[in-house]
Amino acid sequence: MNPVGLPPVSSGLLVAGAVTAAAVSLWLLLPRGSDRHQSRSFYLTQRCGMLLGVVALAGLATAGRRLGSLGEDAVFLTVSIVAVVSGAATIVSRSPVYSAIWFALSLAGVAGVLLVLGAQFLGVATIVVYAGAILVMFLFVLMLAQPSGLAPYDRVSSEPLLSAVAGAVLLGLLTLSIGRLSSGTLPSRAGAVETLATTAPAALDPLEDNHVARLGAELFGRHLVAVEAAGVLLLVALIGSIAIVSRGELDAVADRHSTASHAPTSHAPTRPEGIA
Amino acid sequence: MTTLLPSPTTLAALAKIGLLVGGLMTAAAYLVLLERWIAAWVQDRRGPNRVGIPLTKIRLFGLGQPLADGLKIILKEDFTPQHVDKVLYTAAPLVILAASLAIFAAIPFGSVLPPLNIPGLPDPVPFLVAPGLDVGVLWVFALSSIAVYGVLLGGWASNSKYSFLGGLRSSAQLLAYEIPLGLGLLGVVLAAGSLKLDAIMNAQAESGIWYVFAQPLGFLVFMVASFAEAARLPFDLPEAEQELVGGYHTEYSGIRLLLFLVAEFLHMITAAFLIVILFLGGWHLWGVTGSGQEVTWLGAALRCGVLSAKILAVIVFFMLVRWSWPRFRFDQLMNLAWKVMLPLGIANLVVVATVEEFRPQLLASLGAGWAQGAALAAPWAVFFIGWIGAGLLTPSGTDNRPILTRSPLDAEHGLLTNTSRDWEKAVR
Repeated sequence: MNPVGLPPVSSGLLVAGAVTAAAVSLWLLLPRGSDRHQSRSFYLTQRCGMLLGVVALAGLATAGRRLGSLGEDAVFLTVSIVAVVSGAATIVSRSPVYSAIWFALSLAGVAGVLLVLGAQFLGVATIVVYAGAILVMFLFVLMLAQPSGLAPYDRVSSEPLLSAVAGAVLLGLLTLSIGRLSSGTLPSRAGAVETLATTAPAALDPLEDNHVARLGAELFGRHLVAVEAAGVLLLVALIGSIAIVSRGELDAVADRHSTASHAPTSHAPTRPEGIA
Repeated sequence: MTTLLPSPTTLAALAKIGLLVGGLMTAAAYLVLLERWIAAWVQDRRGPNRVGIPLTKIRLFGLGQPLADGLKIILKEDFTPQHVDKVLYTAAPLVILAASLAIFAAIPFGSVLPPLNIPGLPDPVPFLVAPGLDVGVLWVFALSSIAVYGVLLGGWASNSKYSFLGGLRSSAQLLAYEIPLGLGLLGVVLAAGSLKLDAIMNAQAESGIWYVFAQPLGFLVFMVASFAEAARLPFDLPEAEQELVGGYHTEYSGIRLLLFLVAEFLHMITAAFLIVILFLGGWHLWGVTGSGQEVTWLGAALRCGVLSAKILAVIVFFMLVRWSWPRFRFDQLMNLAWKVMLPLGIANLVVVATVEEFRPQLLASLGAGWAQGAALAAPWAVFFIGWIGAGLLTPSGTDNRPILTRSPLDAEHGLLTNTSRDWEKAVR
């Protein structure tokens, strides 16, 4: 079974067209300078952008290869469209809270794609780590910090054209190159990838019984050094953050000592007790 | 080419989903009644005992009460205040209920059925909606962290102070207690060698030693953390009635409030399921249920019965705790999570990992009986040491006076200002 719905090389033109449409659509949708919420041209641009986005999605969907059964395809397309559309909505929406929610939905879509493709651990871990921990933290901070909204300049995209073009080029190149890899017309100089493709066990059942056990054996066998390095990196980050926090406390104490000779004017370290 | 008729596997999954959702909703309704009865019993009064069969005078000890309650709350006006964020306000209860129900895809509610011999359906049929999911425990985690969104969004979208405070408290609490919850769980996963909840139950049934005996510290940490995750009383700060009216669902009414309340009960049921499955042996009971995968119809029913009875017992425990413990203050809650539960959870994980690592050597050198004894003694020793250590290191009394200085350096610099006059100045 072939993972992502990937195009054969002949559909390169279709992919290029879809990617261009996606770029234009994003460029139209990204929030601009003035708040022209009510104006007619604003609505027109929005509608055009959405329409182009739908066209781009349809193009990418038809360019992709089918997974197999009808039901599988339907589920795959649904979750991937949810992922892509909410990903676009993340960068398009003006309210940061809405952006965070859209991002969460996008992650849920990605997790759904991974589950459909049989990468259970990765799918569930995406939700646990990103949607469950990191994004909840974001939302927490957003809600604490900005109850009354943002300044206008914080809600617009600063380089809409450049970012849309860069994203489109990256998307197109990745799609085409990965599609070429999976369709077998691999240039011979990329020998490493070829040997990997031939030695990898072919067509594992997605509901393989020992999914996590195999993953663990792979991680702690072939990739042990990488896992350990990541662990050390995280530990360093943890120690670093604690060091920064305690440095801040020292400074605050020194400040209070030098400026306020009587009573302190505020609780300088406002970190809540216990969250260390 | 496949036909359009669903396969037997799909039909079996649909039947299980129907059974589970129906059972859970009924259970949630009757657990409300049970909670009210227990509250009445604890408070020495009678509780709901009037509503019986509708349109008759038969009372039936008040067993009709859930129907009356449900009808009443559904028929109430579903009012949306003007000041809310309409989209998120509507989405929040849906998110929380959907996530709380989807959790049960990975939670087994019995053992297995005896062979049915239906072509296309692999025997034996497990009492589990998604038997192919190899990451059951993580699925439960993922979905319960999605349920946090319901609380957080409900609190934010309501655009009112009480809701907002409830939402903030809730998210901080859930984030803090997810870590001890995971640490308590990891010990069990390590010992059973699987992330599947049914495999964890089978491991306990085969050895006959429930993990509550093998990992007492893990059980303690997990239970406290699951009380906090379910926001039950010692930890019910997100919706502390006396402070926040209703917390994050203050602004909700009618059926949307009902969704929140049902989701809360589902959280408690989930917590009870997890405690029973992970630590109390699941469907296993010595000398009653057997331990293998071959069962008769009677055996299958018995196993379901044992599991349900254990879950009911845990839920009754939850409800009794609600009426016997005062609520924590928020700083106490955080202290408990980060300074007590987190170290205890790590201690449990370390001792379980050590025991599991050296189990083969123990078996080889000591023989089966002594090895088992040693494998049980080490966690219990750590349990008592941890308990005593936590007791000695945390202050027994609490100082309610406001504390201005947070770091020991303040004392050094002579900035210890704990008099009330300075406090007033500082507040101003």
